[in-house]
Amino acid sequence: MAYRIQAENLAALFQKSAEKYNDLPAFATRESALQWTPITYKELYAQGLEVATGLIAMGVQARDHIGHFGDNRLEWILADCAVQLSGAADVPRGRDVTDAELEYIIEHAEIKFAFVETEELQNRLLDLKSKLPLLQQIVLLDPKANAKEGVKTLLEVKEMGAKLRKQNDRRVEERMAGIKPDDLFTLIYTSGTTGKPKGVMLTHANMVSQVKNLPGKHNMNDRILSVLPIWHVFERVVEMYTIGFGGCTFYSSIQNLGDDMRNIEPTFMASAPRLWEKLHERIIQNIKSSHPVRQILFHIAYFLSRHYTASVYYINNKNLKTQPEHWLKKVFLLPFHILRFVLIIPWYGFFNAAVLERIRLGAGGSLGATISGGGALPIHIDRFFNNVGIPVLEGYGMTESSPVISVRAFENLVVGTVGPALPETEIQIVDIETGDVLFPNIKKAHNGRGVRGEIWVKGPQVMKGYFKDAELTNKTIVDGWLRTGDLGMMTHNDCLKILGRSKSTIVLLSGENVEPEPIEMSLQQSEYIEHCMVVGQDKKFIGVIIVPSVLKFRQEGFKVKTVAELVDNNDVQKIIRAEIKRLNSSQNGFRHFEQVKDFRMLNESFEVGNELTNLFKIKRHIVEKKYNDVINDLFKTA
Amino acid sequence: MVFTTELLIDIDKALLAVMIFVIMFGMGSSLTINDFKAIAKSPRGVLIGFLSQFGLMPLIAFGLSTVLNLDPAFAIALILIGCLPGGTTSNMFTYFSRGSVALSISMTTASTILALFMMPLLLKLYTAGFAESLQAMNKTSEFVIPTKDIISSLVLVLVPVVLGMILRKKSPDWAKTAEDTAGFVGMIVILYLIFTAFFRHGKYFLETPITVYIAAIGLGLAGFLFGYYLSKALGMFPLHQRAISLETGIQNGPVAFAVILLSFKEPFIQNQMIWLAILYSTFIVISSSFITLYFRKKGRFDWDIYKNTVIHNRLFGDNYVTQYPCSFLPKPLQKDPSQGANKSQKR
Repeated sequence: MAYRIQAENLAALFQKSAEKYNDLPAFATRESALQWTPITYKELYAQGLEVATGLIAMGVQARDHIGHFGDNRLEWILADCAVQLSGAADVPRGRDVTDAELEYIIEHAEIKFAFVETEELQNRLLDLKSKLPLLQQIVLLDPKANAKEGVKTLLEVKEMGAKLRKQNDRRVEERMAGIKPDDLFTLIYTSGTTGKPKGVMLTHANMVSQVKNLPGKHNMNDRILSVLPIWHVFERVVEMYTIGFGGCTFYSSIQNLGDDMRNIEPTFMASAPRLWEKLHERIIQNIKSSHPVRQILFHIAYFLSRHYTASVYYINNKNLKTQPEHWLKKVFLLPFHILRFVLIIPWYGFFNAAVLERIRLGAGGSLGATISGGGALPIHIDRFFNNVGIPVLEGYGMTESSPVISVRAFENLVVGTVGPALPETEIQIVDIETGDVLFPNIKKAHNGRGVRGEIWVKGPQVMKGYFKDAELTNKTIVDGWLRTGDLGMMTHNDCLKILGRSKSTIVLLSGENVEPEPIEMSLQQSEYIEHCMVVGQDKKFIGVIIVPSVLKFRQEGFKVKTVAELVDNNDVQKIIRAEIKRLNSSQNGFRHFEQVKDFRMLNESFEVGNELTNLFKIKRHIVEKKYNDVINDLFKTA
Repeated sequence: MVFTTELLIDIDKALLAVMIFVIMFGMGSSLTINDFKAIAKSPRGVLIGFLSQFGLMPLIAFGLSTVLNLDPAFAIALILIGCLPGGTTSNMFTYFSRGSVALSISMTTASTILALFMMPLLLKLYTAGFAESLQAMNKTSEFVIPTKDIISSLVLVLVPVVLGMILRKKSPDWAKTAEDTAGFVGMIVILYLIFTAFFRHGKYFLETPITVYIAAIGLGLAGFLFGYYLSKALGMFPLHQRAISLETGIQNGPVAFAVILLSFKEPFIQNQMIWLAILYSTFIVISSSFITLYFRKKGRFDWDIYKNTVIHNRLFGDNYVTQYPCSFLPKPLQKDPSQGANKSQKR
């Protein structure tokens, strides 16, 4: 019953969804926990046509870049729909955009028209207006906000358009017919982990290919929770994908996530690792505070489930295979796993039904699968959710590839990898130093599987380029291959495994290369550590800077209010040192130069927008700059 | 077949008594007064459930006993099992088979109360012939169906249920734990009984006539099958069909043990009856697991529609009607009240 609209561009996607899904709800807005307002596919498209007509009347040309500043809400998608219908492209950014970024983006993208979500954004943009001669018109999205003089509200634009359409204004239809696959649908400025914002040009063809190629069998019965920032292409692709199969997207938020999950019982959602960590934390907390009998039941259930899933994965050839498996080993192991499977299944069946189902109900109970992206998912979190029966499908991608390159499909769920490449997508693993293709390479053993190198991607999702930066474009896309800058390998069951970022690689004085991410992820398993970052470029050894978890230490009886109070506490030092020793030892597979020799604690937590990106990735260069003294001190004593 | 040794030693009986108590207590812990009120909300479903539980099942049991020409004691046990009310196990299986749990609970509640009247009545009706032949075989003593004892053992079994309900009212948290524990204890005791039976009386497994196996397995399967199609013929929707089917096939095993132990004191008869009850309890878990997996897969689509419409009502208001494009729904579901014919989509 799964059906997906095939459209040649996004305007056509909106149009066809209105014809096909008609009176089904497309998006829903939260009024209160149990009160939501839906808008149907038909209404969305009809209103989109009106706003688009209004935009055209205001002077928006085809292929114009239109600023779109705000967070997830119905008006956002309505404005986006109108921009697509009018043949223009939008330049999105969240509510947390800084004045400097606003100024840079509007000037660089040559924006004449801009949507702002809130009154606050409107005021900030008005203040900047004198410096931005190109900017002609601001349109305010929030219907409850007060528009200042010269600012139009979305409602006004819509009414203007509605009037014109009544007088048989059909310019929108002409615009829609004029959209070419190579036209931009969006221009996204990334504030990635390095450097100044770059404008990534994504075309209709890019997005259409994603909607077509994402794995999944969803249909009109699916409910999708939207929590990640919409201006990030990952959330956006999921919303467009949802329009493709006729599901309903519910705009939630991190604060309301727990309630909304239980009330909406989502079947699918896009999510980031941080979200799963939070959910994991909460589940563990709940179990710890539950009745002792229940705790024991949970531990039995989890134990059974762990062994059951491990055997199921092995039997179905879905265990992580970084090395080829000798047939003899398989001959010995397979009967063992089959035996274990048969012995466990009745017990697992019972405990799965009686205990694990309760845990799944905490996440709504209907979650078929969720895609996690925008950062690496810590392996213990990954395993936990897959073991309790909430399949987390980790994906891999970047804005430049709009964004999905590969994702674990439900039928191909290999924990620890990011799945096989999407259809129509090619992946190469390339030696960083020599530029030789390592995979696929028939001259190498196993066609080059299991060898690590930089990931290069070719496919319909690869961006058109960076806006007004041909030099960088030519450096990033060579002969159609997008150089991701990420390190990875192809496993022996043809799934991609990410091994860190080539640019974050720390080169020690001894010449050894250290990938900080695996070490950080391992350390982050400790409840005492909130954030950490491994440092040591050009030093003799690696060190780590740590933000201790106030919450955890408080639970342990430390009477502290802020992170700063923990820094000089000797007991805290001891605990952290022990945790590092526990999680970063050779028993965990870390080689001697990958072991942290010393650490420093920071007296402030990392914050989104400063040290962290919106997807909770550490901005290494920012942290390095800000805590330069601390890092120097760390290496001085040695 | 003849049991030369006592099938259950005293420890087993004590364990069985504990299990019956814990399970019935757990069942009570999952019930509230509202569950009784809910029966009135879906009288049609409960009535059809009643028909298949107390109409079909005893008839199937009687038919199987006659066709397979079972020993009278086995036949009486089979009919006794056929006349039992539903238990909480069926509610859990219904949940996982994407059936209507509300209906399952209503049916369990209703049948548990009605069993007080229906069981003695139906037993008298269907076992009369078998009781006579039993007496003919067993000339020394007089055998009649102990109606009074059956009723009093049923009442006795209801005591922990009432206690469980009181606990639920006092402390929902403890009640939840009691519910979980009950399932676990039930499973352990049944497994213990099977294993000890296996080691102590392994030969009985081989001596048991194949017809007895067919009867023990067939009763549940026939219940599933007839329950499913009877409710379909009477115009129930898939969601309810699955609930009625499972409720019909899965009987309240512990009650069977209680009634047999308390009412049929003659060791020769008791052993045979207990043996059949053990066989039925074992095989019903396996067959309902498979049926549940099958239902779960088959019911995926209509369950998703049901869920989606219910959640739309929850979030968009009671009067909201989800309108699917007509090509999306298969024919049988188009007549479903969730599809816009009614103002309220709730089923």
